[in-house]
Formats: sequence, C-alpha cells, structure tokens
Amino acid sequence: MEKRAGLFLLLAALLAWGAGSSAAFRGYRTQFPPPGEIKQAGGGAPADMFALAFGARRLFADLWFVRLMQYYGTRELSDDEEQEELESHGKPGHHCHHGADFGKGRYPDFLPMSLHILQLDPGFTAACLYSAASLAFNLERPDEAEAVLNYGLRYSPKEWKYLSVLAAIGYTKAKDPNAVASAIAPMLKDPDCPVMLKQLAAFLNKRAGNYAAAAAIYADILVTTKDPAYLRNAARELEKLKGRTSKR
Amino acid sequence: MKNTLYAAAAVASNSFRESVRNRFFTLFAVFAFTSIYASVLAGVMAVDQEGRVLADMGLALIELTALAYALFSASSSLLKEAETKTIYLVFSRPVPRWSYLAGKLAGVLLTSAFMLAVMGLMHLLLLSFRGFGVPPFYAWALGGSFLKLAVITSFAFFVSLFSTSPVSTLVISGILWTLGHFVPETRFLADQAGGLKGTALNAAVWLIPNLQLFNARDVSGSACVLGAPAFVSAAAWVGGSYLAALWLLRRKEF
Repeated sequence: MEKRAGLFLLLAALLAWGAGSSAAFRGYRTQFPPPGEIKQAGGGAPADMFALAFGARRLFADLWFVRLMQYYGTRELSDDEEQEELESHGKPGHHCHHGADFGKGRYPDFLPMSLHILQLDPGFTAACLYSAASLAFNLERPDEAEAVLNYGLRYSPKEWKYLSVLAAIGYTKAKDPNAVASAIAPMLKDPDCPVMLKQLAAFLNKRAGNYAAAAAIYADILVTTKDPAYLRNAARELEKLKGRTSKR
Repeated sequence: MKNTLYAAAAVASNSFRESVRNRFFTLFAVFAFTSIYASVLAGVMAVDQEGRVLADMGLALIELTALAYALFSASSSLLKEAETKTIYLVFSRPVPRWSYLAGKLAGVLLTSAFMLAVMGLMHLLLLSFRGFGVPPFYAWALGGSFLKLAVITSFAFFVSLFSTSPVSTLVISGILWTLGHFVPETRFLADQAGGLKGTALNAAVWLIPNLQLFNARDVSGSACVLGAPAFVSAAAWVGGSYLAALWLLRRKEF
C-alpha cells in the first residue's frame, strides 16, 4: 500500500513536470535572434555565454553599448596622425566639436560592435538609432548605417524611428538637407532619439536659416543629454544663435 | 485537514522568521545594497542610457542575490534539521510530512519574495535618487524573477533530499538554472540537428524548465507581461518538484 502510494506520487510528479513543459512549449516564443547569429563575439565570447546562461542578454547588450561609446569616444589617431590631419585639413581629424564634423573618424569596429549589441538585444532601439546615426551622419558610412537599421527592422518591423532614419539617410545621399531635417524632425522629442541626430537637426536648421528652430533644438539638447561634449557644443551654439535671433 | 494546514502555516512562518534572523540574510542585504549602489556608478558610464543600464543591472543583481539566498536556504534547510535532530521533534507531533515539506517550501518562497520586495524598493529609491522614475513593467520583471526562484527553489528541495551535501545541491540546482535559460537555444539546436541528436535535445527541452518564459526583465515592451502559460508552467514545475521531494521524504526514516 505504502509502495503504491509512493509510485502514485512519483507518477504525479512526472505528470506535473510534463504539464509544465507542455504549457511552456506552447506559450513561449523567443524575441531573440538564434545563437548562430551572434557572430561578432571575438574577445567577448565568454561574456556572451554569461549573457545566455544567466538570461541577461539585455544587460550584456547595455555593457556592449557602453563599450561602443567608449570606443567611439576614444582618440582614434596617434599624435603624428593627428598632426598630419591638422596640416592637411587645417583642423584635427576627429571629434571636431563645432557642428557637422562632430564625431568624424574611421572606427573600423563600429559596425561589428553595433550589430553585436542588436544580436544580443534586438529590442535596444536607442542603440540601433545611435549606431545608425553615427555611421550615416558622422562617419559617413551610410551603407553600414542601413545594414544596422535593416537588422533592427528584422526584429522590430513596425519601428517607425528606424524608417525615419533610413529616409534621412536616403535624403543625405540625394544631398537634400531640408528633407533630412524633415525626416528626423518627428523623432526629436522621442526619448530614444540619439543626441547626434538632434545635433544634426539643429545644424541643418541653422544652415537653412531657421535660427529659432535650431535654438529650440540646442536648448532641448541642454536638458536631455548628459554627454559633456554635446552639452558644451549646444551651449556655445545657443550663445551664438542668441545674437542672430535677436538681430532678426 | 484544518489542523494540518495550520501546521504547514506554522512551519512556513517559523522558517521565514528563522531565515530573516539568520546572519546570512543580513550579509545578503548588505551585498545587495552594495551591488545596486555599484550599478549606479556603472550607469554613469552609459551617459544618455544611464536609466536603462541602472534598471537592467539592478534587476539582474536583485535576482542573483535572491537566487543565492534561496538556493543556500533550500539546500541546507532540510539537511540541517535532520543533522540537528529537530526534524524528529517535528515528526513526533501530529505534523504530516506533506504539511512539513509544504511549510518549509512556503517559508523559503516567502523569504525570497520578501528579499525581492526589499531589494526592489532599494533599487527604486536609488533610481529615484539618480532622477529616474519606475522603469516600465518593473513589477512584471520582479514577478518573473520570483517565478524563476520558485521553480529552482522547489527543485533544490527535491535535490537536497538525495544529495550528500548542500554544496552538491547548490551545484546541481545552479546547473539547472543555467540550462533553464538555454532552453530556447536548445530548441533551436534540436530543430537544426534532427536525427538522434535532435531527439535527445528535444527530450532535454521537456526535462529542463524553460526559465526564459519568466525572464520578463530581459525583454522589451509589452513582451514583459507574463502570460497564463508562465503561471501554469511555474505552478506545474513547483508542484512536480514538491511531489518528487515528498516521495523522497516519505522514504526517509525519521
């Protein structure tokens, strides 16, 4: 009798476990790319293993994003190269903080790092926009920017912000700055909008003579970003624009 | 029936009080506070994504801290009572084994829920201190962590009844935790492999609880909302582990 009760318990345990697996099997649809798509692992392979093992893809995507920003924020050229750039162009080769040339450079690992973030967390909209905007408008590699956005669109096909940036890239190729400004305008108030897109919009407005609109965007940059380089630039531009708007 | 339920509640309440008074509980609370505070420093490096990094890091640390405590507690609780002979005192009274086991499990789960709530509150205070509001779907993320803890804790109770030491219970449960997060990848590999390998991997998918189902903190937007399958699966897996543990407990001679 005791043995039979034990067997019954064991059977009930197995049935319950199977019922749980069955409900999970039917109810779970993954949001993430398959592991085979995580290609740009390189030195980060152990971190990627942790990301999967602890169910922390989002957190590790954040860490890769921090690494990307550190990479992009690091001086790319040596002192000799910097001097060469200075002599040939009359200004430092990268990270000119005065408008359209902000964030220039080569940064060959920018695309693989950007894709890697999205392979870990394809829902990281802000990272996708930041990468695409940097590639398209700062590093002047629109094809790579499109590759990032198209990867993002595979997992978030309804993301209108990706489509807006794609349109802006198209207008940049067609050398239509006013259309670029219009394409990114709806995104400017969105919390995911990267600061360099705001900076670009302000710059384009300023160039088109829309000083009030440019000033409003620079004022918005001052309250929404924590990046000191952009903050300094926005404050400086706002100061310059004050003169122009008061003259008008 | 009423008396046995009362006994289970008494065991649960006693187990909860014992856990909270345990000095390890204080250590974990200090560790959690320090870790969450460290995440503030990491968040600063993320510049405009500080809010997201702070939220993600805090939630991950909260879950890992609660996991460490729940596993430690589940793996040592029954063994300690058997070693100190306390379990003989309990069973000399009219306390059925199912009621005792249910009480012990409920006590650890109650402690885990308490830990999650306290650490969640600490985390939200830190976020607010840094000027951020409550992240969207925060409660779902914590709820998902609790369901994961419930599944793994009940499994640890089952393992503790046949393993030789708390360390081996911790290791086995830790492995299941890791494998549980790999279930979607295992499903993908099973589909790709086919044949005997595919069958073996598919069998593994049925044996290992899919912890990604509860991983609300790792997904974006409305996908964070846990659906009915998550609750049904958690209840079934906890129930399955409990029944298996009860089967082992009944076979033990106390």
